[in-house]
Amino acid sequence: MVPPGPYQPGNVVTVNYTLGDFTGININWIHAFQINLGVGWTNLTPITTPGNPGGSTGNWVWDLQHTFTGGYNFGPGWRFNNTGNVDWGTSSSGPFIMSFQVTVGPTCTADDLSVSMEVFDDCTTGGWANGNCCVDPPFQIYNGVVLPDLINTSSIYHY
Amino acid sequence: MKKFITILFVCIGLATYGQTTINPDTVCANATGEQYFVTNTPTSTYNWTVTGGGGTLQTGQGTDLITVDWGGVSGLYLNAIGVIESNAAGCPGLPVLLDIFVLDLSSNVIGPFCPGDPSATLVGNPAGGVWAGTGVTGNNFDPATAGVGNYVLTYSMAGCNTTINVVVNNGPVTGPIQHF
Repeated sequence: MVPPGPYQPGNVVTVNYTLGDFTGININWIHAFQINLGVGWTNLTPITTPGNPGGSTGNWVWDLQHTFTGGYNFGPGWRFNNTGNVDWGTSSSGPFIMSFQVTVGPTCTADDLSVSMEVFDDCTTGGWANGNCCVDPPFQIYNGVVLPDLINTSSIYHY
Repeated sequence: MKKFITILFVCIGLATYGQTTINPDTVCANATGEQYFVTNTPTSTYNWTVTGGGGTLQTGQGTDLITVDWGGVSGLYLNAIGVIESNAAGCPGLPVLLDIFVLDLSSNVIGPFCPGDPSATLVGNPAGGVWAGTGVTGNNFDPATAGVGNYVLTYSMAGCNTTINVVVNNGPVTGPIQHF
């Protein structure tokens, strides 16, 4: 994360994330990168879209929310739009490099500023049924809280 | 009313941030337009309260500087002025408070005098102030020193003052003894 924390209201932070490779069981492919943000963040903006090295035909799409064909709710983040089969992801050879920007929202309290990335395979999203889905817990990128601005009022003076 | 120490600082050219106000702050009874301020943060707003001492906030609510009119009842009023600063996000800080002592000076009435009368004691309330004026030495007024006339004597303390009028009349003029 650039700049590194801790953060105060109004700070704008760039988050860089790279997934080297994805080892999917049962021929599961990567279908989506979901960004999980604490309530202290606002103004999520994509900067760098993941590439598709050696993957299927298609492209990554930025979505704040998307419901996959099987009913799985996703977002925000990037999902792969496979032009051969919309329910499939892309093959899992990396690296997948992406970045996005977030801003610390106005607050008076120590709101949650956690950032994590969750990688979904096309089994999880409901597009591939070939045994068990991959179990890939969110990768914690940042774990902290807002440091509210200190208000340091001077003494009262009398002219 | 400026505190003495504040006046001193201004005189030697210190900036605003060099000023200080002793707690409690002393104001004269029935003073009007007294200015109070905190160091300004341009993006902040300031919520002031004025309680006790007969004080009423006249101008400046929301800003770093207010004016206050005070009442006439002497006494110490705890936390009479308070301010809470809120930053641009609307987050409030801790209250900052100032006690106020309302000073109402008074004095005894003396005179009228004749030129040959003895000195009279001047009594200011509360004690500890300074008397000034023609014929005044310390806390005494000497009609002989002052001479015939009307005088305004001033009793001062902590930047407040009160006055009394004193009259020294002509004495009777007795003519020479004549023999019918």
